Amino acid sequence: MGLNLQRVNCHMTHALSTQRKSTLPQPEDTWESIAARELPELDLTEATSALQSWNLHVFMRPAAPEGSPRAGNPILPSDVIFLEAPTGPTRGIFGATNE
Amino acid sequence: MDIIIKNGLIVDGSGLPAYSADLGIEDGKIVSIGKVGGDAKEIIDASNKVVSPGFIDPHTHFDAQLLWDGQARPALAHGVTTIVPGNCSLSLAPLKAEHRMKLVGMFNQIEEMPIKAFKEGVEWDWETFDEFLVRIKKGLAINVAPLVGHSVLRLWVMGDESMHRTANPQEIAAMQDLLKQCLAAGAVGLSTSFVDMDETLQPVPSRYADAAELDALASVLGEFNRVLQIVHEFYDIDLTIARIDQLAELSLKHKITTTFSPLFVNADDSELPKRVMARVDEQFARGARVWPQVQTRPVDISFCFEVPSLLFIRLPSWYQVMRFGSHDDIVSAFSDPERRAALAAEAQGMGDLWESLVLRQVNTDDNQALVGKTLKEIATLRGTSAVDVMIDLSLEEDLQAHFLSANMGHIDDDVIGPLLAHPRVHIGASDGGAHILSFATYGDTGYLFSHFVNECHALSLESAVKKITSDTALIWGMPDRGLLREGYVADVTVFDPNTIARGEEYYTQDVPGDGSRYVRDALGIDTVIVGGSVAYTGGGYTDAANGEIIPGAVGDP
Repeated sequence: MGLNLQRVNCHMTHALSTQRKSTLPQPEDTWESIAARELPELDLTEATSALQSWNLHVFMRPAAPEGSPRAGNPILPSDVIFLEAPTGPTRGIFGATNE
Repeated sequence: MDIIIKNGLIVDGSGLPAYSADLGIEDGKIVSIGKVGGDAKEIIDASNKVVSPGFIDPHTHFDAQLLWDGQARPALAHGVTTIVPGNCSLSLAPLKAEHRMKLVGMFNQIEEMPIKAFKEGVEWDWETFDEFLVRIKKGLAINVAPLVGHSVLRLWVMGDESMHRTANPQEIAAMQDLLKQCLAAGAVGLSTSFVDMDETLQPVPSRYADAAELDALASVLGEFNRVLQIVHEFYDIDLTIARIDQLAELSLKHKITTTFSPLFVNADDSELPKRVMARVDEQFARGARVWPQVQTRPVDISFCFEVPSLLFIRLPSWYQVMRFGSHDDIVSAFSDPERRAALAAEAQGMGDLWESLVLRQVNTDDNQALVGKTLKEIATLRGTSAVDVMIDLSLEEDLQAHFLSANMGHIDDDVIGPLLAHPRVHIGASDGGAHILSFATYGDTGYLFSHFVNECHALSLESAVKKITSDTALIWGMPDRGLLREGYVADVTVFDPNTIARGEEYYTQDVPGDGSRYVRDALGIDTVIVGGSVAYTGGGYTDAANGEIIPGAVGDP
C-alpha cells in the first residue's frame, strides 16, 4: 500500500472562562489552615476573616458539636471554599432546602 | 408473534420524524417495524396514537415503594418503563441491620417519606446490594436502574464515624471494594449529596467525604463505566459552577458520565441557568460529561402540620416544632398565646407567602366552604391575618388542614422551554416516590408533552420523546433501550399526543401504615409495555411482572 498514514496527535484546547476562585478542603482543614495555605500574602487574621466573609454558606452553619472530631469547626470535608469575593447576586428562593 | 401494535405513529426515540407503521413484539423484543402481518396473541390498535419507547425517569426515590409496589404506581401508568432510584446519596442497600433505622430517619428527613410506612410496609430481609435486588425483583413490573448511595457505603464501612470525619485510606479501599460489589450486582452508578441533612439536622455521611474519597470511588465507576449523580448547592450560582468543575475533572480523569440535579429556574435568580449552561457547554467542549437535570413541572408545595414540611426549613421555631414535636406538642404551641405570637412574628420573615396559600383540604363540614380560597381571602372573612388563619384552621381541623403554595418557582416558560430543549440538558429531577406529602412527583412526562410540546411549542413531539427515551438510555448506559429498533427490548408506550397530560393532584391513602400521599393520574396513556408484556392499559394495571434490573449483574446476557 502506498498510503503512508501518519499518526497525528490532536490536542483540542478549550480554555475555560474565569470563574470565582475556589478550593476543596484538605482533611482536618480549619479557617486558619486554609487561610495560611491559600492566602499567604495576607496577615493570617485578615485572611481568615476574609475567607469567612466569602463563605457564608459555611460560616453561618453551626459548628460541629463538642465530642465530635471536628468540634468547633463548621467546615465539612466536601465543602467548596471560595478564595475571593462574589461578583454578583447568587442566592435563589430555595435557601437551604433539601432535595 | 406475541403483540402487534397496528397503525400507530412511530416516534422511535431518535428524534427523526414520525412515520406510520406497525410494530411487532416477540419474546420480549421488538422484532419488526413496518407492515407487520400475520397473527398475534394480542393486537393493539394504535390508530391516531403515538408509539414510542417507554419513558425513562432518571431521578427517583422509589427505593422503599418498590418493596410493596413493584409497579411504582402511578409512574408506570404515566408511560414510564424504567426508573432510577437511589439518588442523592441514599439507597436501601448495602445496609447492615443495625443501621436500618438510621437510614429510615434520613429518608424521612430528606425525602419526606413516612417512618410508619417503613415500619409497616417493609420486611427487612436483606443487607447486601445483591440481596436487595433479589428482594425487589419479586413482582417487579417496571425496570429499575438502581444507584448506590454514597452515604450508605460510608455507613456500612465506617458505622457512626461516617457522620463525623473523613475516611482513612483503609476505609476508602473498603468502600471501593463495596462499590465494586454493588456495581457487579447491577447498580447503574453512585449517588452523593453536598447539601442534605439527616434526621438530627446534621450533614449526611457523604458530606464528610473529602475530594480524595470521591475521586477513589469515581475511579471504580470508571472501571465499570457507570454514572456519578450528585445533588449540589442548587440555590447558588457560584457553588453550582464549582461543582460542575469538580464533576468535569472526575469525568475527564476517570472517563465517566456525571449528572447533577436539580437545575431550577427562579424569577429572582435569572442569571443562574444562563451561567450554569455556559459552564456546562465549556466543560462538554473539553470532553467532559456533566449533565444538568431539569424538571418540567413548576414547584408547588402542599403541607399540613401533622408532618414536617421543607417549606418551613428557613423558619427555625416552626421547623423545630414540626420536625421534633408530637401532635400534642404542635397543638400546644399553637394554643399558647406567647408561643403563637413568637411563631407569627418569625413567619413575617417569609413576607406575603402566607396570603397566597390556598386551603386545599379539610375534614370538618364547617370549613368545607373555605376550600379553594386563599388565606388572604379567609383572613378578610374572619377579620384576622393569614398566619392566624393558618394556625386557627389547623387547630380546628386537628392539624389536618392542608394548604397549597402553588408556583413557588420554576415557572418561567420562556426560560424553561429552551432549557428543556437544550442538547446538553437532561430532562429529569422528578423525585418520583419522594416528598409524598408535599407534592405529586408523578406526571412530569405528561406535562412535558401537554405544556412544552402542545402549548408552548418549545420542543417537537419527536424531540420530547428523544429527550426522555434514547437520550436518557445513552446517558445512563442502558443497552438496547430507549429506541424502537428491531432487536431492542420491547419497552413501549402508546399514547394520544393530543391528550397526554398529568391529571389533577389529589390526596390518597395508599401508603403502608395508613399513610397518604399526593398523586396525579395519567391522561392520554393508552398502553404501556415492559419487556414485551402489557403492564398497563387505559383500563388499569395488569399482573405482568417483566421488570428488569438495568444494566444488570456483570456477566448477565
